[in-house]
Amino acid sequence: MTKRVLVVDDAIFMRNMIKDIFSGGGFEVVGEAANGLEAVEKYKELRPDLTTMDIVMPFKSGIEATREIIKQDSKAVIVMCSALGQESLVMEAIEAGASDFIVKPFKSEDVLSVVKKVLGEA
Amino acid sequence: MGKYLGLFVSEASDHLNGLAEDLVRLERASRQGEDRSHIVDSMFRHAHSVKGMAASMQFDGISSLAHRAEDLLGALRRHAGPISAEIVDLLLVTVDGLMAMVEKGSSGPPPPPDPMLAERLARAVAALRQGTDGSAPLPAATPGPRRRPPPAGASEPASTPTPGPARRLAVEVEIAGSCPVPAVRGFLVLKKLGGLGAVVLSSPTVEDLKAGRIPGKRLDVLVDTAEAPQSVERALSQISDLSRVVVRGAGPEAAPPMTPAPARPEAAGAESSRTVRVRAELLDYFLDTVGELILATARLREVGRALPATHRRTHEEGVDRLHAIVKDLHGKVMAVRMTPLAVVTDRLPRAARDLARKVGKQVDVQLSGTEIEIDRAILDELGDPLLHVLRNAVDHGIESPAQRERAGKPPVGRISLSARRDRDRVILEVADDGKGMDPSKLRAAAVARGAIGPEQAAALSDREALLLCCLPGVSTADVVTDVSGRGVGMDAVKKTVEAVGGTLEIESAPGSGTRLVLRLPLTVAVQAVLLVRVGEEVVGLPIAKVHGAVEVPTASLERSQGEPVLGYGGGHVPVHDLARLLGLPPGPQGAVCSVVVAEGEGGRIGLGVDALLGQEEAVLKPLARPLNLVPGLSAVTVLGSGRPVFILDVPRLLAA
Repeated sequence: MTKRVLVVDDAIFMRNMIKDIFSGGGFEVVGEAANGLEAVEKYKELRPDLTTMDIVMPFKSGIEATREIIKQDSKAVIVMCSALGQESLVMEAIEAGASDFIVKPFKSEDVLSVVKKVLGEA
Repeated sequence: MGKYLGLFVSEASDHLNGLAEDLVRLERASRQGEDRSHIVDSMFRHAHSVKGMAASMQFDGISSLAHRAEDLLGALRRHAGPISAEIVDLLLVTVDGLMAMVEKGSSGPPPPPDPMLAERLARAVAALRQGTDGSAPLPAATPGPRRRPPPAGASEPASTPTPGPARRLAVEVEIAGSCPVPAVRGFLVLKKLGGLGAVVLSSPTVEDLKAGRIPGKRLDVLVDTAEAPQSVERALSQISDLSRVVVRGAGPEAAPPMTPAPARPEAAGAESSRTVRVRAELLDYFLDTVGELILATARLREVGRALPATHRRTHEEGVDRLHAIVKDLHGKVMAVRMTPLAVVTDRLPRAARDLARKVGKQVDVQLSGTEIEIDRAILDELGDPLLHVLRNAVDHGIESPAQRERAGKPPVGRISLSARRDRDRVILEVADDGKGMDPSKLRAAAVARGAIGPEQAAALSDREALLLCCLPGVSTADVVTDVSGRGVGMDAVKKTVEAVGGTLEIESAPGSGTRLVLRLPLTVAVQAVLLVRVGEEVVGLPIAKVHGAVEVPTASLERSQGEPVLGYGGGHVPVHDLARLLGLPPGPQGAVCSVVVAEGEGGRIGLGVDALLGQEEAVLKPLARPLNLVPGLSAVTVLGSGRPVFILDVPRLLAA
C-alpha cells in the first residue's frame, strides 16, 4: 500500500522539493502545512503514515508541533528536516518523540532511504 | 588516523591511570566493606573508553584486551563478596599491559594482542561467575530457573525470541562516516534503546552527545530490557547511518540497577569541554619567550637612561606601560603552567600497594590537598622523589602486620600525603605511622661511613641527625632490598627538592612514625638572586641558599689552620675566596671584605666577594651545552644592561 505523507515546512520551495522527492519515490503526499499550528490540525485530519517536519517555523515550532502530535498519537512517525548547526534542536525534537531526522541539503535518495528505514521498509 | 595518535596516547594513558587509581580504591573499599559500586562503574567507564578509542585507532590488540578487562569488571559488578588481591593484581597487570601497548602503539605498528593475559582475564570471569552462581545465597523470592551464563568468549548467548524477564544487553553501534551529525545519531540510538528498556550505562553519555561529543563515532550502551537481542537489533535497523550494530547478552541476567554515576565525572566532562590540551614544550616556550620580553624591557629601560631629559619622560612612560603588560602576561603564563599535584600523586597509592604486597605488608595511602597547583617544572621533578619517599615509608617505615600488632597498632599501616599552600610556598607532608627513625643510629651510620666525625655527630641535634639520612650512602636499613635501603635515595630526594628551590625537613620518633616535610616554591623560573661582583665579573647566588651577607674589616677575619674563618651566628664558617673558586684573578685586597654566608654541602660556608651589588628578581634560563657541563653553574640570566650573569650552584662549586 502506498504510504501517505504530510509535508510541513514554511518555505514553499522546500515543500515543493520534498513533495517531488516523495512522489518520485512512490509515496503519496496527502497534505502540506506551512507552520506548526497547521501541522497539528492537518495531522489530526489526515492521519498520515509519515510526517516531515521543519524545525523553525512561525506560530508554532516543529518541536512543539511534534510534541503535540505525539501526545495525540504516540505511534506517529515524524522525521525532522534540519540543517547543520541545529543539532541541539534536533535532539530536543527526538526527546519530543521524532523518529528520525534528515540534514539539509537533501539528496533525494538519502531522504527516501531514511524514511523507508523508519517505516521498516528497508 | 596518525594525527589522532598523540591525543589517543595521552587520553588512553589518562584513562588507564584512572583505572589503576580506582583499583586501589576498590581494594580499600572491599576491605572495609564499603559500597564500591560507583568505583566499579568508574573503572568500567575507563576500560570502556580505552576500548572505544583503541578500536577507532584500529589497535585491536588493545581494544580486545580492554574488552576482556571490561568483562571482568562486569563480573565484579555482580560479585558481592570480598575482592581478592589476586583479582586486583590481575587487573593491575592488565592496566600495565595496556599501558605498554599504548606506548608501543605510539611509536610503531599496532601492538600485537596478548592472548595469555586475555585468557587469564577470561578464566577470572568464569571463576567469579561460578562463585556467584554456586555459592552466593539466592534470595528466597527469586522464582524460575536461572539462565546459565554464556561460556566465556561466546559473543551471542542462546536467547529466546519471546520477551522474557529483563536482562542486560550490551549494544555497540558505529555511525557511518558519511553522517554529518554523528552525535545526534547517537542520541537517537540512545533514545530508541531507552524506549525498549532501561539504559544503565552509555559511552559517550547523554551529556556528551548533547554537547556533540562522540569519539570515534561509536556508541556503547548497556541496557536492561525484556526484549530479545534480535528485536533490539530490528529496532535499531530502522535508524539510518549506522554502519555497525552489535547486540549481545552482557550477563546471565539483569543486574540490580547500578547506583547513578557519581556527579564528579560528569562535571569533569563538562570541564574538559572547555579545556584544551597543550604540549608541555609549548608552555616552556611561552615562559621562555615571556622571560625574553622581561629582559628586553629591562634593556629598553636601561637604554632610556641615556636619552636627553626632554625625551626621557615619554620613553619611561612607554617602558612602564610595557613593563605592566609584560608582567601581566607573565602572570598569565605562570597560571597556565600551574598543574595540580594530583598529576604526580595519584599514582602513588597504587605504587605503595604493589610494593606492600611484594614485601608482605599492608598499607593504606591517604591523599589530601592534591588539588593544590604548582609549576609544572617543579611537578615534573617531584615524581621520582615522592615515589622514593613513599617506598622508604613502605619498606622501612611500616612494620609487618605481626610487628604492628605486637606494638599495639592496627595491622594496616597508614601513610598520608597532604599538601597545603602557605603564602608563596606549597608544603607537602608525607607521614607514616611506622617504626620511625632513630637519630642515634643515624649518627652512628654516618660516622661509620666516614661522612662526619664523631664529635661533629655528637654536636648535632636530633633533628639535624635525622637529615643525615640524606647523605650519600647513609642508611639505617638492616637489609638492602631491591626497593630501598642502599642509602642513595634520600640523598637524591634532598638534592632534587633543593634544586627546585625547596627545602626538606624530617621529623621522626622511634615507634611512632616519620614525617617528611617538603617546602616548595610555587614556581622556579623567576628566582630572587643576590648579585655580587668578583673582580670584573658579576655573578648571582640564589637567595634561597643565602643565609646572610656581611661586610667585615679584612683584618678581623680569624684564621684556623691557615684558612680564614668568619664568626657568624654564634659559630664559625670557613671563608672561601670566590674569585679563586671561579678561577678568576684575585681582586685587590681591600681593607673591608664582603662575605656571603651560604648553604654548602656540609654546612654553612662564607664566600669572599669584592662587592655586594643587590638583590634582583631574575628570569633564570637553563644553560645549554657545553656550559651545563661546567660544575658550579646552574643557570644564566641577563641583566637590564644586557649583561649575562651566571647563577652559581654553591654546593657543587665547592665540590668541583
